[in-house]
This record gives sequence, C-alpha cells and structure tokens, in this order.
Amino acid sequence: MNSVIPVLDPASPQAEAINSLFLQVLLISAIIFAIVAGLILVAISRGRRKQTLPKQDFGSEKSEIYWLIGPVVIVIWLVAISANLVITLNAMPGADPDGKTDVSDIDLIVTGHQWWWEVKYPKSGVITANEIYIPADKKKKFRVQISSADVIHCFWVPQLGRKIDAIPGRDNYIWLQASEPGSYQGRCSEYCGAQHAWMNFKVYAVTDTEFDQWVASEQLANKQPKLLSPLANSGKQFFFQATCPQCHTIYGTPAEATIGPDLTHFARRKEIGAGVIENTPENLALWLKDPQALKPGCKMPDFKLSDEHLKQLVAYLETLK
Amino acid sequence: MSSYFDLTSGLWKWSSPVWLLVLSLVGLYIIFHHRALGKRIVFFAFAMFALALAYVSPIGVLSDGYLFSAHVIQHLILLLIVPLFLLLSLSESETEALFRHPFMNRLGSVMAVPFVGWLSGLGVMWFWHVPSFCNASTENYALGVFRDATFLLAGLAFWWPIFSPLKRFHLSSSLAVIYLFSACLGCTLLGIYITFTVISVCPAFANPVDRLGIMHFLYDQGMTPATDQRLGGLLMWVPPCSLYVCAIMVVLKRWYAEMDQLTSPQTAGTTSSLREAQS
Amino acid sequence: MTTGSVEQSELTSLEPPVTSTLLLDWVSTLDHKRIGIMYILTAVFYLAIGGFEALLMRIQLAFPNNTFLSPEMFNQLFTMHGTTMVFLVGMPVLTGFANYFVPLMVGARDVAFPRLNAFGFWMLFFGGLLLHFSFLTGSAPNAGWFSYVPLSSKAYSSLQGVDYWIIGLLIMGIGTVSGAINILATIICLRAPGMSLQRVPLFVWMMLMQAILIILALPALNSALAMLLIDRWLGSAFFDPTRGGSAVLWQHYFWIFGHPEVYILILPGFGMISEVIPVFSRKPIYGYTFVAASSVAIVLLGYGVWAHHMFAVGLGMYADIFFAVGSLLIAIPTGIKVFNWTATLWGGEINFNTALHFAVAFLLQFVIGGLTGIMFAAVPIDWQLTDTYFVVAHFHYVLIGGLVFALFSATYYWFPKMSGRMLNERLGILQFWLWVLGFNMTFMVQHFLGMMGMPRRVYTYADNPGWALLNGIASLGAVFMAVGTLVFLWNIGASLLRGKIAGDNPWDAFTLEWATTSPPPPENFTVIPEIKSRRPVWDMNHPENADWKTEKTPADRGIRPNLAKLAAWAFIASEAVFFLLLLIAYVIFNTRSGEGAVTSSVLDVTRTGIFSLFLISSSVTFWIAERFLRAGKQSAFVFSLGLTILLGITFLAGQVWEYAGLLTNDITINTNLFSATFFTVTGFHGIHVTAGVIALFVMLMMGIKGNLTADKSHVFGAVGVYWHFVDVVWLAVFGIIYLGLLQ
Repeated sequence: MNSVIPVLDPASPQAEAINSLFLQVLLISAIIFAIVAGLILVAISRGRRKQTLPKQDFGSEKSEIYWLIGPVVIVIWLVAISANLVITLNAMPGADPDGKTDVSDIDLIVTGHQWWWEVKYPKSGVITANEIYIPADKKKKFRVQISSADVIHCFWVPQLGRKIDAIPGRDNYIWLQASEPGSYQGRCSEYCGAQHAWMNFKVYAVTDTEFDQWVASEQLANKQPKLLSPLANSGKQFFFQATCPQCHTIYGTPAEATIGPDLTHFARRKEIGAGVIENTPENLALWLKDPQALKPGCKMPDFKLSDEHLKQLVAYLETLK
Repeated sequence: MSSYFDLTSGLWKWSSPVWLLVLSLVGLYIIFHHRALGKRIVFFAFAMFALALAYVSPIGVLSDGYLFSAHVIQHLILLLIVPLFLLLSLSESETEALFRHPFMNRLGSVMAVPFVGWLSGLGVMWFWHVPSFCNASTENYALGVFRDATFLLAGLAFWWPIFSPLKRFHLSSSLAVIYLFSACLGCTLLGIYITFTVISVCPAFANPVDRLGIMHFLYDQGMTPATDQRLGGLLMWVPPCSLYVCAIMVVLKRWYAEMDQLTSPQTAGTTSSLREAQS
Repeated sequence: MTTGSVEQSELTSLEPPVTSTLLLDWVSTLDHKRIGIMYILTAVFYLAIGGFEALLMRIQLAFPNNTFLSPEMFNQLFTMHGTTMVFLVGMPVLTGFANYFVPLMVGARDVAFPRLNAFGFWMLFFGGLLLHFSFLTGSAPNAGWFSYVPLSSKAYSSLQGVDYWIIGLLIMGIGTVSGAINILATIICLRAPGMSLQRVPLFVWMMLMQAILIILALPALNSALAMLLIDRWLGSAFFDPTRGGSAVLWQHYFWIFGHPEVYILILPGFGMISEVIPVFSRKPIYGYTFVAASSVAIVLLGYGVWAHHMFAVGLGMYADIFFAVGSLLIAIPTGIKVFNWTATLWGGEINFNTALHFAVAFLLQFVIGGLTGIMFAAVPIDWQLTDTYFVVAHFHYVLIGGLVFALFSATYYWFPKMSGRMLNERLGILQFWLWVLGFNMTFMVQHFLGMMGMPRRVYTYADNPGWALLNGIASLGAVFMAVGTLVFLWNIGASLLRGKIAGDNPWDAFTLEWATTSPPPPENFTVIPEIKSRRPVWDMNHPENADWKTEKTPADRGIRPNLAKLAAWAFIASEAVFFLLLLIAYVIFNTRSGEGAVTSSVLDVTRTGIFSLFLISSSVTFWIAERFLRAGKQSAFVFSLGLTILLGITFLAGQVWEYAGLLTNDITINTNLFSATFFTVTGFHGIHVTAGVIALFVMLMMGIKGNLTADKSHVFGAVGVYWHFVDVVWLAVFGIIYLGLLQ
C-alpha cells in the first residue's frame, strides 16, 4: 500500500490533520497567487497598449492600510490553526491530552545509526532493525522515542505524520499510529553522511493479533532448527571465527555487539542494507560479497570472502528466522 | 473540565489594592486632562483596564507564586503596555503646561537622554530576573509592590523618548530605531536565557505553595515548572519585540513625514554621528 | 565631528599610474566601478562552477539507481554547490552591483574607503580559491552547506574538507563584512547635497539594509565556525554530545546567521526590482515609504525567526509556535512589497522589454516561493515537508526565481550604463524563455518530488513510481537553463563589440546614475543635478512634471557623520555580536553543575579583578589623551597615550599569568566545557586587546613624529571607539565568567 504521493495520502489521524492543514494553506496560496498573477497580467496587457504618460501616482497610505487587512487576517488565521495542531500533536511525556503522563511510558525506541535504524520495544524487549511493527488501530498511539547513536538523522514516515530529528545526546518523542493495516515507507530525512540515500525503513501496521504473534515470535531466540545442514553449520562456525560478532548480535549466542544491526531474526526481514535490496538468498550473497559495491561507504567492510565461505554464510544466515 | 469552573472564582481577585491606584490615576487624569479628546480617553481607559487586569484577573493571581509565565505577562503589562498608553493618553497642550515649570522641564530632558530610558527599561527587566531578586520579590509582599512600582516608572522612562507627548523630548529617528532595536535585542537575550537555561530563574515558582489547590490542574495542563519557565522566556521575548518593531514602524512613519519643519536639535552634539547611521 | 557639510574623502591621488599594464591596472585598481565589475566577474566565474556542479548532480539524479557519481562525490558536489552559490555567487554579485551603482546613485565620487574595498574583494577572491583548492586535495567539504555537527566534527569528517570550508568562509567573511561597512559608510556619509536619506533610490536603501544585516549577522557564523575549528583542531567539545557538548547549538548559531542571510540575498533583489518596474512603467514606485519601511521590518524580524529552520529538531511546542508566529509575521511586510510592485505596474505605460520580462517573472516566481515559505512557517506542514525536495524547490524559487531573475533584470537594465551599449533584445527574450521554461521545469516538479517523499541530499533513489519521470524532467530543465546562460553570455559578448550605442539615459530613467555618461568617467560626475525629490533625473528631464512640485519629501539637513567613526561603530557592532554569542555559549555550557575545572576551583578572581582595573583605567587615560590631542597639547597626549598602552600591556601580562597557571595545572582548552569556553572567550578578547595595543602603538608613533594632530583627532577617536569597546567586553566577560552572574 505504498502510495505514490504519500504526503497527500495520509494513513494516520495526525497525518490527516496535517494534510488538511496543508490543503487549506495550499488553497489560500493558490487564491493569493491567482489574484497577484491576474492583476499583473492585466496591468501589463493594458499598459502595453498605452501610449501616453501615465499619471504620476505616488501611492496612498489608505489603500496600503486596506491592503494590509487581508494578509493580517490570513496570518492570524494561520497562526491559530497551526498552533492548535502543534499542541495536539505534542508527544512529550507529561503533556498528553489522553492522559498518558507517565514519563517511562514509551512503546518504542528508534535509534538512528549511520546508515540504519535500530528498533527496540522496551516493554517486550524485542530488538530489530529497519522494520517497525505496530498494531493498526485508530485509537492506539505508540509513543516513540527517537535518538541517535552518532550524527543527526531524521525519522520520517510520510503517510503516518510528522518527522522528527534523531539527535545524539537528546531524546525526541512522536506519536506513531496507523489507521489501516499496511506497509508504510519511511526514510531518513536529514543528511547524515555518505549513505544518507539508503537509510530507509518500513512501518508495518498489522492487526492486534498479528502484532501479538509477531512480538511473541520475536521475543524468542530464533527458531533455528536444532540440526543445521552441514553447509549452514560450517557457515555458523565461520560466522564466529570471523569478525562478524564484533559488530552484530544473534540472541542466545556469544555474538552480542551492537555496532551493526541485530541479526537474531535476520532471515525474516524483507530488505537488506536499510532498503538497498530485497532480502533473498541471492541478494544476500551479493551483499556479503561486497557491501561496498551495493552501499558505498557503509560501515560493513568488504571482507573479500571466498565463494565457499559466502555460500556457507548465506546458508547460516538464512536459518535465522 | 468542571474543575476549571470551580476554580475560576478563586482565580479572580476583586479585592486587589490596585483599585486605589486606578482611582487616583483617574482622579489625576480628570483634574489635569478634563479637556481630553476621544482618542486619548480611549487610550487612558485602556491603560487603566490593563493595569487593573494585571492584578485582578488570573494573570495577577497566578503570578503571585504560581506561574512564572503569568508573572511575565503581568510584568510586561506593567512595564510596556500601561506606561505606553498612559503617555499616549496625555495631550500635548496640557502636558506642555505642566512641563513649562523649570524643574519639570529638567526632569523631562533627563528622561529624554536615551541612556536613561534604555537602562531603566532593560535594567528592571534584567535586575528582577536575577534569581535571588526574583525570588525575594515574589515571596516578600512589600518588595513585590516596590518591584511593580519600578516597572511602571521604568516603563514611563523607557517610552518617554519615543512617545512623550512633547516633541522636543523625542529622540531623533535613527537613534530611536537603534534604541528600540537594541532594547529588543536586550529582551531577546533575556528571553533566550530564561527559555533555554536549565536552572530555575525564579525558584519560588518551581515549588509553589498551593494556596488555591490548583497545582494539580496546572500540572495536568502541562504547565510543569520547566514548561512554565520556557513559556515565560518566550513571552519575555516575542511580544515585547513585536511591540518594539511596531514602535519602530511608527518612528519611521514620523521620519518620512519630517517635511520642512526640522525637529528640535536637542540631540545634536555627540549623538549626531549616529543620527543617520542605520536608520 | 563633521556635521553640516558633505564630506568627500581624500581621493585625489587614486588614479593608477599611466605606465602600468592592463592586467596590473585592474588588479591594483581602487576604482569602485572596476572593483564592482571584478566582483561581478568573480561571481560569474563561480556561477559557472556552481552551475556545473548542479548539472553533474542533475545527471546523477536523472535516473534511479544511477552510478554516474559516487555518493562521496555527490555529497561534495552539493556541499560545494550550496556554499559556492551563497557565498561566492549571491553575495559577491550583489556586492558588485552595489559597488558599481551605490556611489553613482547617491552622487558620490567613489565608495567611502577605496582601499578597504579592494581589500574586501581580494579577501573574497582568495577565500574562494582556498575553498575550491580543497577539490585538489581530494576531499572537498562534504557536510552540506550548513555543516551540521556532529557530522562535520572530526569524528565523522576526519578529512580536511571541512577545515577548508571553515577557513574559506572565515576569510570570505572578513571580506564581506568590510564590504558591507564600506557600503554603509558610503550611503550614510557620501550622499550628494540634497539627497536626504528619505530620498535615496530604493536599491540604495535595500543595500543599506543589507549592509546592516551583514554586519550584525555574519559574526554569528564566525563564532560558530571558530568553535567548530577549535573542536576540530584543539579537541574541545563544544559540539560533541558524548562529552557534554550540544549538537543543537550549532544549528542555532548557524541559522542566527543563516536566516538573515536569506534576506541578505533577497533584499537587494527587491531593490533592483524596485528600480526596474517604475522605470518601465513610466511611473514612480507606488508607496515608496511602505516599500522602504517594510524592509526595515523584514530586517528586524529576520533576526528573530531563525529556529523555523529547526522545527524538526523538536525544540518543544512553545518554541515552535513562537517561531512560527515570527515567521508568519514576515509575510506581512513582504506582502506589502508585492502589492506595491503590482500597483506600480497598474496603470503604467508598460515598456515590456527583457528587463521587465525578468522583473515580472521575478514577481510571479517570488510569490510562489514566498507562499511555499508560508507553508513552512505553519509548523505541522514543515514537519512533513522540510528536508525534502519540497524545501529544495521552495528556496530555489526564492533564490533563482527571485534573486537570479532580479539579477538578469538588473543586468539588462544597467548594462547600457556599464558598457555604453545596449544588450540585444531578441537574444534577451530568447534567454528569458529558456530560463523561465528551464527553471520551472526543474523546480516546479520538485514540489511534487517532496510530497512523494524524496528527501533532499540523496545521491540516488529507488525506482519508485513517478520518481524517475519527475527527476528526468528536472534534469532536462537544468539543460534549458544552461543553454539560456550560454545565450546570455553570447549576448553580453556580442553586444560589447557591436551593440547599439546607449547614450546617457536610454530608458528615460529616474535616478542619478543616468545623469552621467555611459560608461561613467572615473570621477563619476562632472555636474550633479539638483536633488529635490526621489527622482532627480526625472525632474531634470521632465521639469513640467517634476516630483517635488507634487510630492513633498523631507529635505536634506546636510548631516554627514564622520566616516572613520561610523566605520568604527559599525565594526564594533559586528564584534559585539561575535562576543555576545561566545558569551552565550559560555553561559549555556556552564549553567549545569560542573565537574572538574570550574571558575571557583581554578581561577583567581581577586587577582584578575585587580588586573581588570588596569584595563578599565586605560579607558580613562585614553579619554584624557583624546582631550589633550584635541586641545593640541602634544606632549601630554603622548604621555597619556603611552600610559594607556602600558596599562593595556599590564592587563595582558595578567592574562598570561592566568593562562600559565592554568596550563601548569594541566587545564587546557580540551579539558572540559568550562575550559573550552573560558579559553575561547578570554583568548579572543586577549587577541582584541593585543590588536588594540598595536593600533595604539601606531598612534603613539604617529604622535611622537607629529603626524597625529588635533585636526586628525577623529581617526584617533575611531581607535578609541574600539578600545573602549574592548574594555566593555571585558566587563561583561568578568561579570559572567569570574563573578558568575547568570549562573
């Protein structure tokens, strides 16, 4: 359900509110532009035919003041409606019209990294990357805490509403909510270095039961079969011999580093490299062979893996469901 | 929201002693300005209304130890609004009669020195927001009255060089623009400081004594002490600056209308180098 | 203090020597018209570079998943494109036009300080070269034209690109501020008799506003750059969140400069349009006072709205609302201007030539840019669309659709004056349509790209529906603009060689520059017409319809302040902003309860207090020296000036003592935020005192040799303004850092 013009296709109450404000301002702007353009064009077409010296008119204070009334009224109106919306959309803990005043009441923590998003559900302990699951519900809002591990990023899901910067040393809060089930494209919207272009993520809004199932399945260690195929098994051994665990976590194994994305349920994700390619075994092999070719400048180096190791690793990672 | 209406009665303080001041000012105005014309009477009435509002309405009640932001509003009304409209309500001829007296003329000239008005206007703003003074004046009634009196007087001094009814006390236009712009800068700085500092500028407001039992209501509305101070800082900053910008526009209008009659050269001498600078 | 007489500075010996070669002639020139042309040519040169950078980016973005440019290269290109266009095209070309036309329009012989003028140009020129030299080192700056920290800090930009950016901007900044002081002084002090400030042409008025903006806004950038440089080179932590610094402070400081910068660029454009439209409508500007006064309002409001660039930062709802109010308020004075321009056209006898074509396109496109600006001021809309291609479209509509079109209009209007020949109208109209088409193709579709979710500054994008098509159109439009520019350059070249001879006043225009020959002689005017209104040349040519008969304007009272003192005041105003922002940084970083070195634990307040007394008393001795100089008591003057210098040096010695104590205790600039702010503030102050002592020493030498006498006391007075300023700054520093006021 990725929309072509997502800003004009809101899928949450707050995005709808912003959209209707936008349309209103757009309409006012169009009227102003039409008036100005009309006056100028008429003045010119009339004036071109004129052959006599026009009256030397220096202006009139009165008509300037009258002219001021329009803009002043519009400005006051715009201040009123946008201020009202700003207050409504405020997600700071302790300032919530619905009474969610508990500061610790945070549903989701999203942390920007160069160039991927870490997604944590503090209440259930689920950790994933670049994919956010929320229940689709017109009434239920997720309070999301946005922060950054390195430089400034910006969290933006056009169809679901406002963007907010992810700033190191500072926590920001927004509401995340989707009216209808679906997948919603999100992007980093603040320039953050070489791979700013590939710092995408998706928000999947699912039904309540699906959400609970998802949380339950993510909470467990991955559902790896007890007996790995020989290929996957040697991939696993290679994974832990090589430098992989220095950056990545696989829950329930010695790999516990948090520099790169958590790989516990890697095989269930839909994309690799924050949106660079779809997550298929072939693409994964491409990625592992040389991440720098697909996403130049990303933090995962080209390990110059042999084809043999590559196959083994792909086989192992594909078991991380 | 029913709690709000229960509270409203407590939020108005009809018995405020400010009525004494209002009454005496009205008396003075009638004695000295009984021939005042329509517009001036409206200005005067507005000044009195604002003055009463600053104490009688919730602004006055909440600024008494509850909300820093309400205190800022009260402070701005006393420092900027009331004196401005008082000056505008004075007619030129009646004031001239008063200022013909050598002592008054001397006083008027002293107040017309830009440094005096600027320093008193900005001075009281900054002085009463040094944490210890701010706190003391909120907790001590007499000091509070003294503070409010300084606001009113400083406000008169501040606006005198711009809106004095007597033209001879006006600053030259360019100097007036600099005067107002730098004043705007001054309250911007104070506003930014109050908005963004992490310390409590006026600790009395950080842990108020809940006389009226409205603390919970305020907190529920999001008016926690930190938010309150931030709002106060922004109020200290945007409304005065907007007012100053409007005043600058008035000054410019006068400047463009300065036809043949040259304004009195009372600011000649050392200030003339700046007279046309940056206007 | 000179009042009551129009002061033309001592310029008689500025003609270049006859024997010099042409190139040397230009390089060494002090003539404002030549320097103006050099500014414009420099801007055109960098326009070519910046435009080429833009074309490369548009090629990269023409197709999804394109690999024409590496991400690293793309990031360098957009950083340099933005920086070049703002600092090396927009500002110099305006300074160039101002240099050429402000003296002519106010009836002056030259700018106030011809040598400073040349200095400013060469600072800009070499600053630009230095910035672009970074390409040759293999790493041009790549953190965006606003270089947000921490991305631009050492940890994330370890190569020297950002260092080139900082140093380049600092050097160009010196040139820009000196240029602005020059323009300010020219307008205030060198107007021809009869031209009261209420009568200057609107272009001159706008340049005055721009000069004030530059003088007061650029130091904000300089203070931020200084802190970033200290972070990068000396390891302090102003902008390092992991060590207590702030990532948001940079944004505040940058935009305190950056938003006025927008008006620095567009106000002169307003001025140009306000000259062109009346002339080709054969009417005076409608509501002169409203156009002029609304610019003052824009200048003032312009300083209070910077945070609307930061709505996505999460400053909190109150800050958001207040900055939204300020930003929306600016719509009112801007709307007044549009109304006045339209009303000027209304009922006029329209000469719809190329200049007016561009002016009308300016109006329409600027209105579009302004209206999208209003959208960004309405905070929630900004929360959706900021940092997308919608914002790219918005500011290009203001800066290209507005400023560049105004510049083209002004070029077609003033070229005859500058060269003596007319530009070709047919080529002009061809260029116009190429630009209108190309510009709107490129940037109109970007509004939609923004709404489709395309963030700005991405080096490539996935093949989302519609993105390839719209980006393709945008890239194609860029080609039209490039071709249009070639047509324009061809037109300039061809017209210079065989264009129609223009004569003094081919347009029957109104303002003083048309009262002299085209091109004007080195001394500008032989006779200046009588100035009794805002349109002296109109009055001269149309005595039956002379303005002063119907429209009264305030007469000139002949007040022309002293040049040296005015410049000194302007300079210290600029310096004051610089110190103010450093002090604010101090207060911000030191109000939290500090660990490690803080004032009370490491500074000797009493001792420094005593040394402060030396500095303060030096102000008194200076004041005495000035009185002696004016009274002609030369030896008493030399003595008290010598005493001033001694007191200043004593203070510096005290500072050295303080520093030595700190350094031996291992407290350096990178120890913590207290030490970083302390050393930065007092260090910059120390540099200023040192510079002051040197200036005083020069004065002393001149005094001993008898070159500084009572009649030159205003020069000494100007140095005095600076010296007293340094002392006042110290009072603030002492109060805030040593006495801990505000904490």
